[in-house]
Amino acid sequence: MIDKDEVSRLSVDVLSRLQGLVGDPYSYARAWKGRTGGKVMGFFCHYAPEEIIHAAGALPARITGENRVISESGAHLQSYCCSLARTGLDMALGGDLDFLDGTVFVHTCDTMQRLSDIWRLNAGYDVHLDVVLPGRLEGDSAWEYLCRELASFRERLGELVGPVDDGALRTSIALYNRNRALLADLYRLRRRDPGVLPSDKALMVVAASALMDKEEHNALLEELLGNIEARLSGAAPGGLPDRPQEEGVESRGQAEARPQAGEKVRLFGIGSVMDQWEFLAMVEDVGGTVIDDDFCTGHRYAGVMAPEYVDPIESIARRIWDGVPCPCKHVTTRDRAELLLERITGSGAEGVLFFQFKFCEPHAFDYPYVKKALDERGIPSLHLEIEQGSVSIPRLRTRVEALLETIRG
Amino acid sequence: MAADEGLKPYVKINATDQMKQLMTEYYIDAKGAEGTDRPICWITSGGPVEFLIAMDVIPVYPENHGAMCGASKMGVELAEVAEGLGFSNDLCSYARLDIGSAITHGGPIGGLPRPDFLLCCNNICGTVQKWYEELARYFEVPMFLMDTPFMHKTRYEHATEYVRKQCLELVAFLEEHTGREFSLERFAEVAMLSVEGIELWKEVLETAEYRPSPLTCFDAFIHMAPIVTLRGTPEVVEYYRLLKSEMLSRIEEGISAVPDERYRLIWDNIPIWYEMRNLGQLFARNNTCLVADTYTTAWAIDIKIDDPLTSMADAYTGIYLNISIDLMFEQLLALVSRFSADGVVMHSNRSCKPYSLGQYDLASMVTERTGKPVLIIEADMTDSRTYSEAQVRARVEAFIESL
Ligand code: SF4
Ligand code: SF4
Repeated sequence: MIDKDEVSRLSVDVLSRLQGLVGDPYSYARAWKGRTGGKVMGFFCHYAPEEIIHAAGALPARITGENRVISESGAHLQSYCCSLARTGLDMALGGDLDFLDGTVFVHTCDTMQRLSDIWRLNAGYDVHLDVVLPGRLEGDSAWEYLCRELASFRERLGELVGPVDDGALRTSIALYNRNRALLADLYRLRRRDPGVLPSDKALMVVAASALMDKEEHNALLEELLGNIEARLSGAAPGGLPDRPQEEGVESRGQAEARPQAGEKVRLFGIGSVMDQWEFLAMVEDVGGTVIDDDFCTGHRYAGVMAPEYVDPIESIARRIWDGVPCPCKHVTTRDRAELLLERITGSGAEGVLFFQFKFCEPHAFDYPYVKKALDERGIPSLHLEIEQGSVSIPRLRTRVEALLETIRG
Repeated sequence: MAADEGLKPYVKINATDQMKQLMTEYYIDAKGAEGTDRPICWITSGGPVEFLIAMDVIPVYPENHGAMCGASKMGVELAEVAEGLGFSNDLCSYARLDIGSAITHGGPIGGLPRPDFLLCCNNICGTVQKWYEELARYFEVPMFLMDTPFMHKTRYEHATEYVRKQCLELVAFLEEHTGREFSLERFAEVAMLSVEGIELWKEVLETAEYRPSPLTCFDAFIHMAPIVTLRGTPEVVEYYRLLKSEMLSRIEEGISAVPDERYRLIWDNIPIWYEMRNLGQLFARNNTCLVADTYTTAWAIDIKIDDPLTSMADAYTGIYLNISIDLMFEQLLALVSRFSADGVVMHSNRSCKPYSLGQYDLASMVTERTGKPVLIIEADMTDSRTYSEAQVRARVEAFIESL
């Protein structure tokens, strides 16, 4: 039996490690490279087939831009391009990503598509690979194409980075699934009691997953979750959900999710990359908490499980196909607003934060219709548009406070 | 498509009247079909219209309509309608004004006829996918997404196969929503006419290789409307025959598009529709002819009749906006040498990311390889709110001076 102080001390250790990592995102990749002599492959998008990269013996490390004033990428990208692309390219050109052996670009939006070209022509890493995912995730032809494109990626990666055999790929898939299950558990525990971990810390934990070796992240997560469960003192039913997306949405989610009086206001975040920790800390400060989200560095990263008893390429294709779709992908059979509404009500959120990059077309196109769906259900929301490098917390604070006031009534 | 009058220093192209008539008849016919049993389909500019023509579906092009609205300087008021609904003013202005026009029936022709279904091909951008999803929700009609994998370096067999299969899925979609049967024979006929029209259009554009050139890209922007909207029909073939013979006789008679042509430039990106007349005059006054552009050649594709579906798939996947910057560079370079250009003018178009992002690199590649200068002007194709006429004029004049 561990005592209570011991529990929180352990959590603090894990958290401060993960927090340090997020504060200096590539320290881990640099050290890993030094330690193992392995290759590090950068990627931008949560659809990247990380399992294949991992199975080739490389470390996939996610690039999400950063808060910086750009100096070099302005000569390659116009000012009407999203800050994720502009600051990401600036990091590459400024030498901040010198530990990369290569980059994997996944087809999503027009900006990423062109960034891939510009990156290949200017960043100067040895390996450059594109995974041209289908634009639509439905229909037989798209499914077949997706599988063949992933297989082709595996081959190309095999030549340039390292061979990927079925056994290694299956091991990677299982490892990544374990990570998804643990992340889903983190979301489940926070839904039960948001007090267990503030949202800035929780989203940092998720973000860290895309920056470090999964085995290590799994170990840290297990420790963290164990501590949280122990603190919730036996209230946890234990066991891990096998389908994170489905779990917590229906009846069980409803029961768990009912907000208690005196708690923070539960919010649901919608956007692509969430890397504004100060912003999230401010939300916590003013009495809100992002209980669940659709960020691609958040809950969407945890995604759905890759089935383990099918052909490994098909398995990865499945988790891309079945996951909550990014607005870049065309899926008519699962309406994004409806999916979001289900998840929002399931999480017990009382309001929604749209947290989006300026100039991000896919998200900007979806905003009016998702917002309308929220309005029709009487769910208050706030639309924030930011650019990395010029985020003004005081200005955002006033607006978040106004949202919280609306909710509290 | 009415922006050509008064391009003063120009000699008027006689065929313009026929073109206008052709387009007017087309729009009257399309608008008249609303509410009848003749199906209407909205389609993107790079979409495989041959399937629609072959099934007697009326194709309607929001982008062509967008250009019309822009040229009539109605782009801003329509875009503002969409902005009022929460669409960011950073989004493609064609999309914004089209959504605005759908809601208010605004614009020079009182809006487009209501679609029965939508055909969106993402070979020009991912933007159209999001835009058409919104249209599908607004009109509550089905949408077919023809998904053409972007080509970074290599043309993969599985990508061609994917698009070829989608052609079959599209046929099934059209059969379902028209209740008609698809005829491969009829399709081959249409494809043949399409190739013929495209060939003639290419030949029209090639007349600008002559010095002095009989036409400028501003003419091409106006006269491209039929090849975009009506290719696959006999009328288009007829029209471009006429236009071509007029261009050839211009060459014979030594009629040049701009007086005393001294400099020849290539235009990159979509025209600045609301400013086309001024820009045309500005270049003409400075004895400069924009002899070719990357925009109107986007339709110069080949379709092989022996295997129409596969060549269709390759043609639609390989168009200018669906290939990487280095592949675009090869085409741009070919235009520069073929049309003996002295430089390039790039419209950095804040509406169109796939066209504009990468231009800075393209510009330095052009200068590095050919030693020829590139001018980049910042604008938007239909939203004039960020445009500074004085600044652009000064920059264009300084650029020509430096030639
Ligand atoms: S999806 Fe949005 S944020 Fe992401 S790269 Fe594209 S434009 Fe930028
Ligand atoms: S202008 Fe560009 S972004 Fe807009 S529809 Fe055309 S190709 Fe797409």
